[in-house]
Amino acid sequence: MSIDVSSAPVGGALSGRKGDRRVTVIRAPAFSFAGMLQQLTKLVEYRDLLYTLTVHRIKVRYKQSVLGLSWAILQPLSLMLIYTLIFSVVARMPSDDIPYPLFAYTGLLPWTYFSTALSTATNGLVSHSHLVTKVYFPREILPVTYVLAALFDFLIASLVLAGLMIYYRAPITLNFLYVVPIILVLTIFALAMSLFMSAVQVRFRDVGVAMPLLLQVWMFATPIIYPLSAVPERLRPIYDLNPTVGVIEGFRNVLLQGTPPNFRALGASALVSLILLPLMYIYFKHVEATVADVV
Amino acid sequence: MIDLKFDLVTKKYLIRQEAPAGDSARHPLVRRLQNLRRPPQEFLAVKNVSFEVRRGEALGIIGHNGAGKSTVLKLLANITAPTSGEITIDGRLSALIEVGSGFHPELTGRENIYLSGSILGMRRRDIGGKLDSIIEFAGVRQFIDTPVKRYSSGMYVRLGFSIAAHLDPDILLLDEVLAVGDSAFQAKCLQRVKDLRQSGKTIIFISHDLSAVEKLCSRVLLMERGEVVASGAPAEVIAEYRRTANDFVPSGPPSWSNEQMSRRAEITSLDFYDAVGRETSTASTGSPVTVRLKYKSHEQIPDAIFEVFFYASNGELKCQLSTGLSHGRIDLEAGRGEVEFSCAELGLQVDTYYIDAAIQRHEPSELIDWQYRCAMFHVGAGKVSRGTFYMPHEWRITQERSVSSTESAELLLR
Repeated sequence: MSIDVSSAPVGGALSGRKGDRRVTVIRAPAFSFAGMLQQLTKLVEYRDLLYTLTVHRIKVRYKQSVLGLSWAILQPLSLMLIYTLIFSVVARMPSDDIPYPLFAYTGLLPWTYFSTALSTATNGLVSHSHLVTKVYFPREILPVTYVLAALFDFLIASLVLAGLMIYYRAPITLNFLYVVPIILVLTIFALAMSLFMSAVQVRFRDVGVAMPLLLQVWMFATPIIYPLSAVPERLRPIYDLNPTVGVIEGFRNVLLQGTPPNFRALGASALVSLILLPLMYIYFKHVEATVADVV
Repeated sequence: MIDLKFDLVTKKYLIRQEAPAGDSARHPLVRRLQNLRRPPQEFLAVKNVSFEVRRGEALGIIGHNGAGKSTVLKLLANITAPTSGEITIDGRLSALIEVGSGFHPELTGRENIYLSGSILGMRRRDIGGKLDSIIEFAGVRQFIDTPVKRYSSGMYVRLGFSIAAHLDPDILLLDEVLAVGDSAFQAKCLQRVKDLRQSGKTIIFISHDLSAVEKLCSRVLLMERGEVVASGAPAEVIAEYRRTANDFVPSGPPSWSNEQMSRRAEITSLDFYDAVGRETSTASTGSPVTVRLKYKSHEQIPDAIFEVFFYASNGELKCQLSTGLSHGRIDLEAGRGEVEFSCAELGLQVDTYYIDAAIQRHEPSELIDWQYRCAMFHVGAGKVSRGTFYMPHEWRITQERSVSSTESAELLLR
């Protein structure tokens, strides 16, 4: 029996077709690019699980709640109302001459997507320890399904944004099509962070505990409830390092101003996300090899 | 055709020993950080294990708790990666381990079939095609659109197994899962596995249930402390396993204390001897065996009775022999002596036996000495094929030789 032994994969299994049977070689984890590609083909093979698990995640989340799907809308909506009350009625916050409710909601919508994805995915591996220790499947499916379920919520909550935009007569131009690449960048970034956090969480549960605080700080470091123009110019070089800045500001620009996004800022976010995703995937796969022993 | 190959596979676990809480008065955080700095201890759950499984073979893996069986199972199922070595699997391997673990209580039976099925690696359209058969096998048609949290535990388990049983693997990995449901369902499951075997699938069965292993497997590996210590025909390896005393379940310590024994005489040793007088600890059913019991009596004891008890490895008393029943009266003189029990044809069946020996009196009732589990004795297969006991016996064959019936006599002898 001949097996391709030229490359050792990350996290274990290497497969190759031989007739209708498949030869799998399981070895100690070691990094190789060929191994990484093999892992990705495994993920493709398990796409049905990815689909089923995402759908079930959405179903389960709303199955026993009275309000059901409207929770996806209520969360950013209630945050918007609170911030409007504070920053538009109590204190005066500049909002680039956009009605504050619309301004806040446009920031909160993508942010809620990101923070929901990250905070639920962080626990993704740990909360499925009963599966992880008993059945094999590409583990990255677990955090990824949380990101996809959050994306679904985002799409539902977008309906409210559409309503607000019509109500406040926001200028609708063809530039709104930029929303698609912007959300793609945000999704890539969310995936990278989710893979990383869920893997770290396996060994250090501190991550899950610290997550709400981290997200809170992160939110205030992103132009969501205040405009980017309010950030002092001298702080911008540091401020702009946060990948969510370019994304959220871009999202708001294309929808509310009808202008194209700031390509430099969005490009920086995209670059960071595209570098992080493979790195985090490799790290995740490294942890995956022994996750069943630790979780 | 080799379907599965373990090549010098080792799995090492690192265990971090925590400092005892009362060790120091330092802050718990300081102690935790110190724990992180301690070098972790290595534990080899599987040590350089190599074996091969041919296509269509049913391999059983047995061993005591902690012998490395479950680690082998996890390595095979790709749940955890080996530390070194290589595992080669030719074909699609499905593990049938703790079914139902992929269920979500809020989802209906039908939804859970899709969920659990895809976790086990089935495609959605395959699940769709097998849906009816899965529901039928589990016998839950009436409740298929009810959330599984309303299921009885039996229904839950049956549905879980039914999904797993509908996987179509080349190699099937079985855990203790056959012990699910009621006996009717168990029989159905066993039949399913047998069918799979018949259709040429390779099966790996990891279990404590020795009789199931013996029934199902064509070859058995015995693991001990992370290594394969024996491999071969099921009956032989299982007997070997039973010989290693660790699985012995004692029937409980004797209910009498030392004070209840007068110790006017004491048993000093008990040994077994084979047909030619060599000391041994093994024999086979139907072969001659001699037991020699040495004692020391501190005074004259009239009408003493010697008894020898044979307990099977499951703790069950199989045989109690008493000089009070099969020998005449014994009056002990002060001093040392020897009691010999010899048996021309050993009646005990294949197993490992634990021996108690006692000296007592009946009238008046007195327990003089009782040596609890003082010897171990292994009986291997001999002049008996099946059944619960052996009886001493002889065969005699009479044949009528006539010219015309030679052929039929030969036929009879065949």
